Amino acid sequence: MEVLRLQNLQKSFGSVRALKSASFTLNEGEVVALLGDNGAGKSTLIKAISGVFPVDRGDIYVRGQKVSIRSTRDAMDLGIETIHQDTSLAPDLSIARNLFLGREPVNLKWLGVFAPLDLARLRDAASALLKRVGISKKLDADALVSTLSGGERQSIAISRAMQFAAKVIILDEPTNNLGVEETHGVLRFVKEVRDAGHSVLLITHNIHHVFQVADRIIVMRRGEIVAEQTVAGTDLLTVESIITGADMSALLKETRAK
Amino acid sequence: MRSPQFSSLVILIVLLAVFAIADANFLSPLNISNMMAFLPELGIIALGMTLLLTAGEFDLSVGAVFGLAPVVVMLLVQNGGFDIGVALLAGLLLCIAIGAINGLIVTKIGISSFLVTLSMLLVVRGAALYITQGFPLKSWNQPGFFVTLLAGSFNIGTFRFYTSLWWFIGLSLLAIYVLHYAKLGNWISAIGSNRNAAVARGVPADAVKIWLFILTSVLAGLAGMISAFRISAASPVAGTGYELEVIAMVVVGGTALTGGRGTILGTIVGALMLRSIRNGIVLIGVPGLAYNIFVGVIILAMLILHALLQKNAARS
Repeated sequence: MEVLRLQNLQKSFGSVRALKSASFTLNEGEVVALLGDNGAGKSTLIKAISGVFPVDRGDIYVRGQKVSIRSTRDAMDLGIETIHQDTSLAPDLSIARNLFLGREPVNLKWLGVFAPLDLARLRDAASALLKRVGISKKLDADALVSTLSGGERQSIAISRAMQFAAKVIILDEPTNNLGVEETHGVLRFVKEVRDAGHSVLLITHNIHHVFQVADRIIVMRRGEIVAEQTVAGTDLLTVESIITGADMSALLKETRAK
Repeated sequence: MRSPQFSSLVILIVLLAVFAIADANFLSPLNISNMMAFLPELGIIALGMTLLLTAGEFDLSVGAVFGLAPVVVMLLVQNGGFDIGVALLAGLLLCIAIGAINGLIVTKIGISSFLVTLSMLLVVRGAALYITQGFPLKSWNQPGFFVTLLAGSFNIGTFRFYTSLWWFIGLSLLAIYVLHYAKLGNWISAIGSNRNAAVARGVPADAVKIWLFILTSVLAGLAGMISAFRISAASPVAGTGYELEVIAMVVVGGTALTGGRGTILGTIVGALMLRSIRNGIVLIGVPGLAYNIFVGVIILAMLILHALLQKNAARS
C-alpha cells in the first residue's frame, strides 16, 4: 500500500536547480534507499519532504491525500520523521527527555509551555522503549545522551520516530562515523523498523549497506531521479555505474563473464 | 554526588566555615542581615542569566539595565510629575524593549549575543549617563506601596531582612520549576544543548530565546529598582560591572557557559558564595584594593574544579 508519493517536485536556489523533477512512491513496510553522489539533490529532496523548506512546484501525497508541508512540525504531524546524523538528539538531556522533546507528556495542559512534565509517564515510556530497542548494554532512561555511543544514539533516534507511529522514517546517513559492529546494529534495527510496518527512506553513501537492508533503490543525479530498481533485480556494479554516470558496461560484462 | 551544584555547595560551606572561624562577626546578625540585603539584587539577575545561559546565550547589558531602569523611573516621577505606578510601568516596558531588541538581533540577524549585548551595554549605560547628565538623582524619600513591596524591611529576632529576599526566594522557586520540571525547561536545555535537534522536533527556539532575553532584562530592571528603593537613590553608574559578577555566580554554580546544562540551585549557591566571599574577605582583613584578586582566584578555582569533575564523569 502506498504511503508517500512525490509528484514532480522541483526546487531552485537562485539559478541553481537543485531539484529538477523528482517523483517516486514509497510503500508500506519497505526500505527504499536513496543514492547519489554529492550534489545529486538527495538532501534537497529529503529537506523538502521533512519540511525544512517548501518546494517550488510539485505535489506530495501521504496515503493518497494531497498534503502541504510548510514546517518540520507539519511533516511530523503527517507521520514523517527525519533523523539526521548529528542533529537529532540533545546530548545534555536524558534519554527520556530526548525521546519526548517537542511532544512532552504534561499535566495541567492549560498552562501551555509552563505545564509540568509528566515525569512518571516520561520515564515509563522511555524504559518500555529502551526494552524494545533491545540494546545489549542496559541503558537507563535517565542517562544523559552524551554518555551514549554513536550507534546507541542512532538507535534511540530511530526508536523515537517509531514511538510516534511514524508512517515514514527518513534516515540521513545513519551509519556515518559508526564502527563496524555499531553499523550492523543500526542496520539490523532498520530491518526491525520495517518489519514493524514502518516505511524507511534511507540516504547513504555506502552501497554495501543498501544491499543489506533495502528493498528498492532510487538513484539521483544532478537533481533528477535517473533510476529506480528493486534490489533483487540489480547488482552493486550496475548501481555504482548509474550513480557516477560512467559507462561501466565493459567492466560489467567482464565481471559477469567470471 | 558529583553534580556541579553539589561540589559548589561543599565549597560554599567550607568558605563559610573558614570565614566564621577567622572572624566571629561573620555570622553576627548584623553581618548576615547585610549579606542578605545585597544577595537578592544580583541573585535575581543571576536567575534570568542561568536560564539564558542554559539556552546557549548570554547578556552583558544587565548591569547597564540595572542602572538605567531606576534612573528613568525616578526621572519620570521627579521631573515628569508622573505617578510612581505609571513610571514603574514605563520602566518595565523599557526593559522589555531592551530585551526584545537583544533577542531579535541575536536570533533573527544571527549575531553572537556577546557582541549584541556588549553594544547594548554601551547604549544603555550611555543613555543613563546622558539623561542624568552624569549626576545621581535627588534622594528618594517617599515611602509608598511600591517601595514597601520591593524594598521594605522587617525584623525576625535580631535579624533585619528586606522584602527583596522574598522576591529572590519566590523567583528562585519559579525558576527551579520552569527549568527542571516544566515543558519550557526541557526546551531551554535542548536549545542550548543542540539547537538544530530542538528545532527539528518543532521547538520554537528563536521565540524561546527572545523571551529569555526579555526576562533577563526585566529581572535586571527589577533588581535595579529594588536597589534604588533600598538606598533611596538612583545613580546612572549603578550596576557597573554587575554583568560579569552575575555570570560568575552562574558558572561557579555549575551552569555551563556553552549552554545545555543549567542549574538554578547551583546559581543560588554561586550567588551566596560570591556574596559571602566579598563580605568575608573584607572582614578577615584582606586589604580592600586586593580583594578582587581573591574573588578572581576563587572563581578560577571553582571553574577548574567543575572542569575536572566533568572530565572524570566523562571518563567513567
